Amino acid sequence: MTLPPVLRLVVRNFASNFDAISVAVRFGQPAVTIVVLGTMFSAYISGQVTGTSSYTAFLVPGMIAFQMVSGGVVSGNLFWLDRRWAMVEQIFSGPFLRSEYLAGLVLTTLLFSMLGVGLMILVAVPLIGLPALSPLALASVLATVGLGGIFFAGLLIALGTRLRSANAYFSIQSFLQLFLIFLSTVYYPVRAGKTPWLLADVVQANPLSFAADAIRAAFSGTLNGTVALGLGVLGLLAALSFGAAVWGFRTMNLGPIQ
Amino acid sequence: MAAVVGSEVVLRTEDLGFSYTPGHYAVRHLDLEMHRGEVLGLLGRNGAGKTTTVRLLTTLIPPTEGTAYVLGEDLRKAGRALRSRMGVVLQSDSLDFVTVERNLVLYAFLWGVPRETAKARAEEMLELFELGHVRRRKPWAISGGERRRFQVARELMHDMDLLFLDEPTVGLDAVARRRILRYLKERARGGLSIVFTTHILHEADALCDRIAVLHQGQLLAVDTADALKRRYGGSRELRVTFAQALPLALGRSFEEGLKEKGADPLPTHDPPTAEKSVFAFRSPRPEELLPWIVQWGVAQSHEIEELSLTEPTLEGAFLGMVGADEEGESEGPPGSAAPPSARPGGFGWGRK
Repeated sequence: MTLPPVLRLVVRNFASNFDAISVAVRFGQPAVTIVVLGTMFSAYISGQVTGTSSYTAFLVPGMIAFQMVSGGVVSGNLFWLDRRWAMVEQIFSGPFLRSEYLAGLVLTTLLFSMLGVGLMILVAVPLIGLPALSPLALASVLATVGLGGIFFAGLLIALGTRLRSANAYFSIQSFLQLFLIFLSTVYYPVRAGKTPWLLADVVQANPLSFAADAIRAAFSGTLNGTVALGLGVLGLLAALSFGAAVWGFRTMNLGPIQ
Repeated sequence: MAAVVGSEVVLRTEDLGFSYTPGHYAVRHLDLEMHRGEVLGLLGRNGAGKTTTVRLLTTLIPPTEGTAYVLGEDLRKAGRALRSRMGVVLQSDSLDFVTVERNLVLYAFLWGVPRETAKARAEEMLELFELGHVRRRKPWAISGGERRRFQVARELMHDMDLLFLDEPTVGLDAVARRRILRYLKERARGGLSIVFTTHILHEADALCDRIAVLHQGQLLAVDTADALKRRYGGSRELRVTFAQALPLALGRSFEEGLKEKGADPLPTHDPPTAEKSVFAFRSPRPEELLPWIVQWGVAQSHEIEELSLTEPTLEGAFLGMVGADEEGESEGPPGSAAPPSARPGGFGWGRK
């Protein structure tokens, strides 16, 4: 039986681009962060500050939210490398639609992000116990990470269609990744009167903060306005960045890049 | 070779053109026809429009002018169905980040080739293209020639009716090149139609049933190699070697006699010598001069040691067609080929 074109592309994306080391690093880094940073900081940052039972319990939803960035980076880099090594052109000259290639990247992002979510929860269980997630809460967590992944993947793919140098692409990608994670509520809470107002505003406007806050709310068992807001904002951003990626595909020069 | 070519038209272009920006044409007024089982060579200098033509005909870029029918489908409307019947080896190497062997199987998987068939075909290709010794290496870790062979081998992992090869033999040694050309010829005999671009003219001469010469984005000529040589290869060269050097006056008399018959003397000694034994002439029909030369030698009692005739080459024909521009006369018609750097070729979203 022959798989549909999009699934063949997804299988190819996983088969050709994920070696053991890169997968270990991509998943291992946030997992180690939960274990090491969570354990170390739990002694210094009380649950009163974070509003959770412990700092680790605060960090876990943050690292789950971070999977949206990881998933986006995977697809963004995959697309860039496909361009760099002329596989985009090769695939486009084969039995695929360009929309299928893009759909394959999105699906790869989603699968990678979901895999990351599962792994982060597994790592967290010995430290904070099994989160009491209702099916709806779990669905909202997955939807948040999925939409966030599409947002970040779309952003990087759109960039990848424009940039013609690896240095430029990877510099911007690293900067965006750092910017998103450090100026977000993944590692620390933003408290009125405690965080400088400008920094607090930037952090609150960060899509990763919307994701982290929404997932924290879901983890606490309250599917409140924070979850809806997170989903809404990330859905809008995902639509915008996916639109930018489509536009980038429409106008992309397929010629060689370096 | 032309006898193997079928009557079914697999490719027809009418006034096909592509401009990167208004007024800057990479390809223009392209009228081509190709039949099943034919190997059509595309020759031209760098930037002549060969790769753009391949990209147009493989739907990578949409035509901005004219029409084209590939395997019976209108190029402007064609999509997946057409591409499923074509193979393309692009000019730049493309690769996945897995071993050579895995690349072959993975590519076949992308094309929907059943797993067992893919494995068997990968073995066949690894042997045919002498890649067995690098099967477990990554494509970027093998030599340039091996990588080029790998590109061709990978494309042959799936079935197709029409194969585009954009400079597939760049960097290959003579043995590998010969092996690939022989294989392609066999496939063409089996009905595969091949569009082949190259800068190696004797390769085109050996492989192609017909050759299309592009220059500044326009088609200069399309014909068999022999016909191109006859038409554009210029005069043939006749070389007469006497057993002994002729005295100056006698040598001049010999040359004058041939000049009267329309032959054009060529210098044979550098620096020119008063007495010489070798004479060369260029003539459109040198065989007609032979009786006179033989009679002259007998009459003058000068033994002719050797008579040789040099046939025009494809290179001569090619230079005859495009060579004038080598001297910086390549302004071309207004709005002709874009400079190689100007390649912002976008494409439409949602094309089928």
